[in-house]
Amino acid sequence: MNSPSSVRVLSRAVARALSTAAPTPSTFPLKTVTRSNFEPVLESLRDHVRSADFVAVDLEMTGVTSAPWRESFEFDRHDVRYLKVKDSAEKFAVVQFGVCPFRWDSEKLSFTAHPHNFYVFPRQELSVRGSSSEFLCQTSSIDFLARYQFDFNLCIREGICYLSRDQENELFRRFNESSNLPRDLVDFGDRPLVNMADVFFTERMKIKFKDWRDSLVLGGSSISESQESSSGSNQQFQTIFYNMRPALSLIGFTAHQLRLIQLVTSKHFDDLAYVSVNSGGSHVQQLVIYIDSNADKDLLLKEVKEENHRGAESKIKAAVGFRHVIDLLSSEKKLIVGHNCFLDMAHIQSKFLGPLPKAAEEFAASAKKHFPHIIDTKVLLNSNEMLQRQMKKSSTSLSSAFALFCPQIALGYKTPDLSLASRVKVEVQVDDIRASSWDMGVKHEAGFDAFMTGCIFAQACTHLGIDFKLRSPLEDLAHNKLLQGHLNHLYLSWTSGDIINLTTGNITGKSLGANDSKKRSRKIVFENIVLLWGFPSKLRAGEIRECIVKVFGYSSVTSVYQLDRTAVFVQFSKAGLVSDFLVLKETLERNNNTVSVLNPLWKLLEGGKTRAANYEAYKEICSSPLSKISFADQAEAVGINWKVKSAELEVAEERPSREDEPSHGSFSVNEIIDSFYTPVVEKQVGSGNL
Amino acid sequence: MKMAPLRQLLRRSRFFCTKASAGGRHRRNVKQVTRSNLSTSLEELRAHVSDCDFIALSLRRTGSASAAWQRVSAYDTAEMAYLKAKRAAERFQVLQFAVCPFSVRGSKVTANPFNFHLFPRDELKIGMPSYSFSCQTSFLESLVQEDFDFNACIYDGISYLSRAQEPAAKVRLGNPVHCSYIVKSPSSLSVADAVFVGRIKSRIKQWKDACKSSSTKTDDALIRSLRQLALGGEQYGSRPCMNIDVSTERQVQLILEILVEFFEELVPLIIPAKGGGTQAVRVVLTSSKEDKNLLERELQNLEDEQSRRVRGFREVIDLISASQKPTVSHNSLNDFTFIYNMFVAPLPSNVDEFICSLRSVFPHIFDVTHLMKEVVPIEKTPNVSASHSYLKNRFFAPIDMEVPCKGTENEGYNSHGHNVVSICHLFAKVCSILKLTPRTGSPDARHEDIALESYANIFGPSIVGPVGSFEESIRVWTSSTRAVSTEDIVFLWGFSKGLSARTLKAQLGGSPDVFLEDCFDVRLVDKSCAIVAFSQPGLSGKLLSLMSSEEISGRLREMVSEGLKGASYEVYKRICRQEGLWEGVELADAFDKALADSNPSSVAESESKRSEIYWCSDSIINLDDL
Repeated sequence: MNSPSSVRVLSRAVARALSTAAPTPSTFPLKTVTRSNFEPVLESLRDHVRSADFVAVDLEMTGVTSAPWRESFEFDRHDVRYLKVKDSAEKFAVVQFGVCPFRWDSEKLSFTAHPHNFYVFPRQELSVRGSSSEFLCQTSSIDFLARYQFDFNLCIREGICYLSRDQENELFRRFNESSNLPRDLVDFGDRPLVNMADVFFTERMKIKFKDWRDSLVLGGSSISESQESSSGSNQQFQTIFYNMRPALSLIGFTAHQLRLIQLVTSKHFDDLAYVSVNSGGSHVQQLVIYIDSNADKDLLLKEVKEENHRGAESKIKAAVGFRHVIDLLSSEKKLIVGHNCFLDMAHIQSKFLGPLPKAAEEFAASAKKHFPHIIDTKVLLNSNEMLQRQMKKSSTSLSSAFALFCPQIALGYKTPDLSLASRVKVEVQVDDIRASSWDMGVKHEAGFDAFMTGCIFAQACTHLGIDFKLRSPLEDLAHNKLLQGHLNHLYLSWTSGDIINLTTGNITGKSLGANDSKKRSRKIVFENIVLLWGFPSKLRAGEIRECIVKVFGYSSVTSVYQLDRTAVFVQFSKAGLVSDFLVLKETLERNNNTVSVLNPLWKLLEGGKTRAANYEAYKEICSSPLSKISFADQAEAVGINWKVKSAELEVAEERPSREDEPSHGSFSVNEIIDSFYTPVVEKQVGSGNL
Repeated sequence: MKMAPLRQLLRRSRFFCTKASAGGRHRRNVKQVTRSNLSTSLEELRAHVSDCDFIALSLRRTGSASAAWQRVSAYDTAEMAYLKAKRAAERFQVLQFAVCPFSVRGSKVTANPFNFHLFPRDELKIGMPSYSFSCQTSFLESLVQEDFDFNACIYDGISYLSRAQEPAAKVRLGNPVHCSYIVKSPSSLSVADAVFVGRIKSRIKQWKDACKSSSTKTDDALIRSLRQLALGGEQYGSRPCMNIDVSTERQVQLILEILVEFFEELVPLIIPAKGGGTQAVRVVLTSSKEDKNLLERELQNLEDEQSRRVRGFREVIDLISASQKPTVSHNSLNDFTFIYNMFVAPLPSNVDEFICSLRSVFPHIFDVTHLMKEVVPIEKTPNVSASHSYLKNRFFAPIDMEVPCKGTENEGYNSHGHNVVSICHLFAKVCSILKLTPRTGSPDARHEDIALESYANIFGPSIVGPVGSFEESIRVWTSSTRAVSTEDIVFLWGFSKGLSARTLKAQLGGSPDVFLEDCFDVRLVDKSCAIVAFSQPGLSGKLLSLMSSEEISGRLREMVSEGLKGASYEVYKRICRQEGLWEGVELADAFDKALADSNPSSVAESESKRSEIYWCSDSIINLDDL
């Protein structure tokens, strides 16, 4: 009996070993957590987090942008940037969640880190209405994970499920609703049974229950286990006791038959009650119970209801799964450390708390409530001058910052160096094994990335002047004065340098400290922008500029930025030109005669599919949950009424321009970014932690 | 079960064909193909394809429909069904593609199944074949049940590019393209052209002479490189070459015309620009005619190699298409929308265009589900295995399946993709029951088989809705076949959730002025939305106008005041066409959004489209297929 299956298992194992390069185990000690060991690990993690000085986190997702035009652009306003992050967090799944508590050990004068690597998968243990059991994968990101030997099998088979708080509440609400409702017999009640099979079945059950009841009441000795095998079905009756009452357990009946049984008991037996008991597991008991009196019946129904409630609770608790970790981090109010972690925080909000709000300010309010202290190491490294000097202008990507800041850890203490004296010591503890030396860990394994982030933070703290040796163990790192300027500052978008302050909800365009000033010299006036799409596909930014300049004058266009092959932003030098352009475009299209064709702008309009709108339309298109690959397709699928848009625009034009905008003369750059299309692979795939 | 080890032993020791009447025993005989064994498997498949009568296909996807109403259902016209299938094909990804060439000889079927593991890896780093794809966790979990190896699929799955993507990819790669044919341009040379021609001609001559003279003399390296620098010459492999930058396609044409003069020695290569068009023309100098032929062959091989790399799994599709053999699938609309989108071109917006274009690639497509419809009521056979057991209990049509066993699990054979063998089996069985003898003998004979051919290329909403997922699953439709025009359909929503179709019907019956007894039927689409089908013309319009008028009274008035809303089939069509309305799990959400969003421009749009959909409005839906 066993041989074929064991052979199969063995040969499968062989086949797998041959066919797939199994992920090589890292020599870096890392606690891998799947659903099989989740419960005990959660308990031990509670202690680690409670005693921790700070907790570093890192997430791996199935993708970052759902369409090329959803990548971060220079021409994105703050609200649009947030919408792009929101779209990403809503569409992609988290597959790995690294949690690494760091605790200062005042005896050993070193940090102890407990890196945990949770495999997470949005498996639906309980169906939640409105929650999507669907997620997006960005091909390049999946390929990126594969290059770092991500174990997809482990993730999909053994990943820990989760429910957000909203989903959990919804489940409880629905459960309470359904348990408070009287049994719905409306459809069944008064209607005579028409189906002969139903009539026969009902009669048979009536006899069966009567016999059983009589044998109980009359003390007949033959309470036999019976199995209805005549029909070949596997229907079974089994006498058991339920809460001290004799009960008949029904096994192998269809939902329809159970409904008939319910009908039989309620109609023909005063001393029998049909109940369905679900005490938590996957197994649901169907019982017909003998009751003494009506009072006993009420008591029984109450008992059953309570048991079902407990059962549902434990089921929902199990389905909450990984969110227990988030609840733990939130309730302990520990300092959370991440590297370029705005997207991570958005994922945490959308997966584990509730739907992402429409605007960044509301998101900040919610984040502040759940995680009052967050430090983004990327912001820290870029905004502090002293740390900038330490960095020597090298990249602030996670792995290079780690190599630069913590060479002693990165290289495993292999190079004794005098300069290491100022380095913070970090030991790693997994289960009972402590280690202070190892080979390099696996990059882009969330647990290891969280560990690197924590090490960078610890080292940065010492550079800022925080002396862990002198610090009182009771002092909360989150309230340290030296960190206050950086607390809750996160990059809304790294490419733009926009920083959001989660405490206030404010977004500042420039980073706090020294930064590449040339990069930010260009001011963008969103009122001056026209969004163009659907133009003839051979046209490039330069040619489009040419067309417009021929009509509106050489200085009319400040810049043209190619969004993708099907769309461009055109920034005019004056807001008035925006409506001039839209009006001219409409006139040309309406007339559609030889005069129109002679206009230089006609080159843009050829094909009759060219659309134009102001910047607000761009925001609207970005807020749509759809993600078509090309911008033109997206705009068409979203189907906004463009005529209305341009009419609104003419009104908007009357408004005086806001004071904080610079005068038009200050536009120095006539930059045309052409053929932006070269794929920046690392930007696309690096899961947000560059 | 107890027999299994013995049988396996027998099979392994004999190591040749096993025969069985049911599909279950060939499970391990499916050849698994990943990118490591693609080229050898391709040759094997090529041989089987040329010998076979039919090719069965079976796809494993990452998902099907995001919500119940988004599944293709019986209340969909061909256009709606296509739009739904299109949406799924654009969202989800195929991870396994099983191909099984098979032959039918009387009651004996010989099948050679291959299961290709696909992954849309961006091999060339150009954002193709697929930027992203959706996964439904339930689909991934059913793959887990089958012990699917996701790592193998993602690490070693075969990538591909569609026919439409291939030229774009080549441009983006920027590899030089050999161009041997030159058509003399009809227009005469302008002054500017003449100057250009003269300049280039002398430059080429100079360079060529310099190369020749240098090759005869033995200069030292420094002088050689200096000369190269001065003349703008480079090396192409072992041969000297020169790049001539161009700014227009006209110049390319002119250069190629000039090069005709030197055709015995010079080979032109076109270097594409990144954004399309041409960046330069590279001229390679060959030493002799033989050398030139050699170079041209080399270039051809290089191009073939590159094309193979670019096409990947599409080689299989092209192979099937080129064979012109009939294909067999279980759900052709779903399968072929995926196939078209992945391997041919983006799906057209119009169903007629799709069918027409698909036919040029796959001329004969048989849908087993459609054939089954002739034999059994469709709801009894939602999938291949249900169909099998249904037929088994009712018809005596023994089919002798033969799946040659060519290797063991270690050699890449196992049971993944076995479904395709069941499809072959089912097809043969249904043909035998319907007395449609699939042809035997010469390939030409196939076309004489008109009886079978009449079943080819029929697409439509042939899939049943999710059996049992509808509340109560009460069958409201009478058992006789009844066709209902889409004009007599009204969608209702806004009633209290969890209402059964029967209860709703009873409630509606309280307004007998529209809901005449025996003149309407009700069916639920999902928990939130129901379809009412009237059997008398004009009632649907009456209902809708009544619902928005003052005259409404009785039970219906009550229901409307409680939130009941209604819309015609035209609104449903608009929802299917406008993807922006597809959000939300329930159809009621989409209807609410569609009505709220009926702005002037979209009305104009639907009016302009109305003419082309008129043929659709009298198309019928067969309610018995529900």
